[in-house]
Amino acid sequence: MDANQVALIKKIMELDFACIDLNLYLDTHPDDQKALRDYNYYSQQSKSLKAQYEQLYGPLMSFGETPSQCNRFRWVDDPWPWEIQY
Amino acid sequence: MWVYEKKLEYPANVCKPDVKMAKFLIAQYGGPDGELAAALRYQTQRYTMPTGQAKGTLTDISTEEFAHLEIIATMVFKLLKGVPVEELKREGLGEQYTEHDRALFYSDTTGMLWTAAYIQAKGDVIADLHEDMAAEEKARATYEHLINLTDDPCVKDTLRFLREREIVHFQRFGETLDLVQEHLRSKKIF
Amino acid sequence: MYDYNNLYIQTYDMSQKGLAEAYIPMQRYVSSYPPEQGLKRGTIFPELDKPYMEEKVRGY
Repeated sequence: MDANQVALIKKIMELDFACIDLNLYLDTHPDDQKALRDYNYYSQQSKSLKAQYEQLYGPLMSFGETPSQCNRFRWVDDPWPWEIQY
Repeated sequence: MWVYEKKLEYPANVCKPDVKMAKFLIAQYGGPDGELAAALRYQTQRYTMPTGQAKGTLTDISTEEFAHLEIIATMVFKLLKGVPVEELKREGLGEQYTEHDRALFYSDTTGMLWTAAYIQAKGDVIADLHEDMAAEEKARATYEHLINLTDDPCVKDTLRFLREREIVHFQRFGETLDLVQEHLRSKKIF
Repeated sequence: MYDYNNLYIQTYDMSQKGLAEAYIPMQRYVSSYPPEQGLKRGTIFPELDKPYMEEKVRGY
């Protein structure tokens, strides 16, 4: 995995983590408008970075979540998450 | 249903292989207060939660615990990578190697297999949420012990992340308990 | 639907709480770390960020 790919996946991890933490907060505060706004904002940002990542390096999700963008099912390609030096 | 994302929640690195630490980390893979126990506990308790809010919290924290299970697995896998069998034997993983080679398996540090007896689903929301809060504190304590057991800054960094998540989860279960008590009061159940 | 602002005040009024009931105060979202820092800290909420001081540093 080259440095650019690692940098991009880390950026996605950061945004997704903000979404996770806000999600758990919203589970107990479903009407908090500021939390909702921030959740939507990070979610949008993550979505656009993921589209960029998947175009370059293959799908991040399976089961139809990401359509195959070339003539190969790149989902099966190494490396898997536990094999990467971050 | 669940869909797998081909990424970790946290970029878990190890600085160098370390058999002893791999053995200790297994506590949080298949031990009584480990991530498998946490994920399965919340997963099975959610069906009898009385409010949508509580069902959501248990579903989401359970899901996050599976991501933590994967992080622990990643560290163990990396800590054992390229280690010769003589070293596994010398550092206390000979027994593990006999049955599993370098594969991951659900046991605690002493090789005791994971059991459903580690968890409970009482069907009583107050009892279940108290168990969940206690579970988060026990996991936090285990992470603190593990932090003290390693000199590897990479492993320590990830353990600090996982420990902090226990604190956040405790807060969410505590808030859920509060909301549920409010809900039960409004229904005059107690 | 709950009024979270009102609930916050309510939950800090201990007289509302019965005996033999555990109690955790409701968090109120004020500010958050930027995503890079949030991931590093293990939470985006500064008020929940409670780092551990290890045995080697604090002494046994």
